[in-house]
Amino acid sequence: MGSTQDIRKGVVIKHNGDLFVVTESQHINPGKGAAFVRARMKNLANGKVLENTYKVGESVEVVQVNFQSMQYLYKSGERFAFMNMSNYEQIEMDGDLVGDEAKYLKEGVDCVIGLYDERPVSIELPKKIKYKVVEAPPAVRGDSASGNVTKEIVLDNGLHIYAPIFIKEGEEILVNTETGEYSARA
Amino acid sequence: MSNWQELKNNPRLKEIFDTRVKIVRLIREYFWGQGFAEVNTPAAVTCADQEPHLSPIPVVFHDERGADSQFFLQTSPEYAMKKLLAAGYEKIFQICSVWRDFEESGHTHNTEFTMIEWYRSPGELGAIMDDIEKLFKFTAEKLDKKIVEYSGKKVDIFGDWERASVRELWQKYVGVNFDDYLTKDKLRGLTKKLGYQVGASDDFNDLFYKIFLNKIEAHLGVERPTIVYNYPIQMAALARPCPADPRYAERFELYIGGLELANAFGELTDSEAQATRFAAEATERARLSKNAIPIDKELVNALKCVPTAAGIALGVDRMVMLFTGAKNINEAMFNTVKDQLNF
Repeated sequence: MGSTQDIRKGVVIKHNGDLFVVTESQHINPGKGAAFVRARMKNLANGKVLENTYKVGESVEVVQVNFQSMQYLYKSGERFAFMNMSNYEQIEMDGDLVGDEAKYLKEGVDCVIGLYDERPVSIELPKKIKYKVVEAPPAVRGDSASGNVTKEIVLDNGLHIYAPIFIKEGEEILVNTETGEYSARA
Repeated sequence: MSNWQELKNNPRLKEIFDTRVKIVRLIREYFWGQGFAEVNTPAAVTCADQEPHLSPIPVVFHDERGADSQFFLQTSPEYAMKKLLAAGYEKIFQICSVWRDFEESGHTHNTEFTMIEWYRSPGELGAIMDDIEKLFKFTAEKLDKKIVEYSGKKVDIFGDWERASVRELWQKYVGVNFDDYLTKDKLRGLTKKLGYQVGASDDFNDLFYKIFLNKIEAHLGVERPTIVYNYPIQMAALARPCPADPRYAERFELYIGGLELANAFGELTDSEAQATRFAAEATERARLSKNAIPIDKELVNALKCVPTAAGIALGVDRMVMLFTGAKNINEAMFNTVKDQLNF
């Protein structure tokens, strides 16, 4: 058993007899009255997504998840392979559970993988990941002096993002994995 | 919003912040145009909001000899603005920072955020509904953004707004006549029947929101803005009872795209009734182990000089989120709590 304080991205909870991994959680304070937590969660058996809102302090059946630091290796079909750096064991995670985070993965990135009953069910990426710029078109006409014009660039894992015009091919940059946007030069 | 470097180099964030600057200006222009006086009241007050679930942040002032006095950062400028109504001001607004401790920072909340409140006295709740609809339409027109999008929902600000009572919404989305569930026991039974947890300490508010947040909220303001009005009297806070049906209170909330943006009251101006509510709230704060806040006797006294009044609090940062498509409140503000702590 646990409480709503334990609800956060990556934990597994038992709801109406089924196991769900929380993909997003949000506090709601109606302003007048008690606080609530809204959890968006995915059924581990069938992938169905549902939303449920709990009053803060309510009991929630939280299932033990073992969080391990792992390094991303490669993609094989629809599955993603990671290595547990503490024992060098390799695991594979369903693409469906990796979700949108997949586009940020590149070999060697350290992630936190949640394991339920040995099965990887959640992934947490670093807030910022370093990439090498492999394609960056030169600055074009109309670039303003304000430095606020951007261009589309391609990173070494194939990710396309917009970056300031001063970024050149071969540079290393940091990308914010919460927004998917350029953060700074590395 | 993150730090100044991201703001400088990310045109999307820059656009959001530029629009924020415009929105604040437009709000002022709108209210000045309507003959409202812009007022300032202190951010630090000795008698903060007594609302049982709010946590005002305590701050200590020291005089020149070092003697200390207990103040709190305001959670809303409401009490002070009502005192200005008592002083004879009839139409006032204020844009200011407010603070709510023990709340999440992220998504739609930040410990410190910007509120606009406005009051009319004499005033009726219907006039406030008209004000907010006109304010949003004015802003939408000036920004040339008549359709806004929030979490994938497109909402037409310029069309007719929906005004729905709590009773109508419960009928529509829960399939019950809310008049039959106006006691804690009745509502408790319904909450259980619908499959939600019911705790021994759950009060009427909690039970209401367990159903409302799960069954109703997501439907609100989906295609057009929705004003939800006439809340049960147990949830009146500072609102007066509806003259035609005192089981309900003159309170409304505005939802656009499922996002709650504003809370308004036909203000309780009965001084004695206010004193009784404050005492009950102080008791409830003690039961919930919240910090004790002195009862604002000056407000109780001031209400004797307020004929009728209506007023509203609107979250400016959420309004910015709505008009800019910001993904969360962090993108709509500069140097949020998260930005400062993660720096």
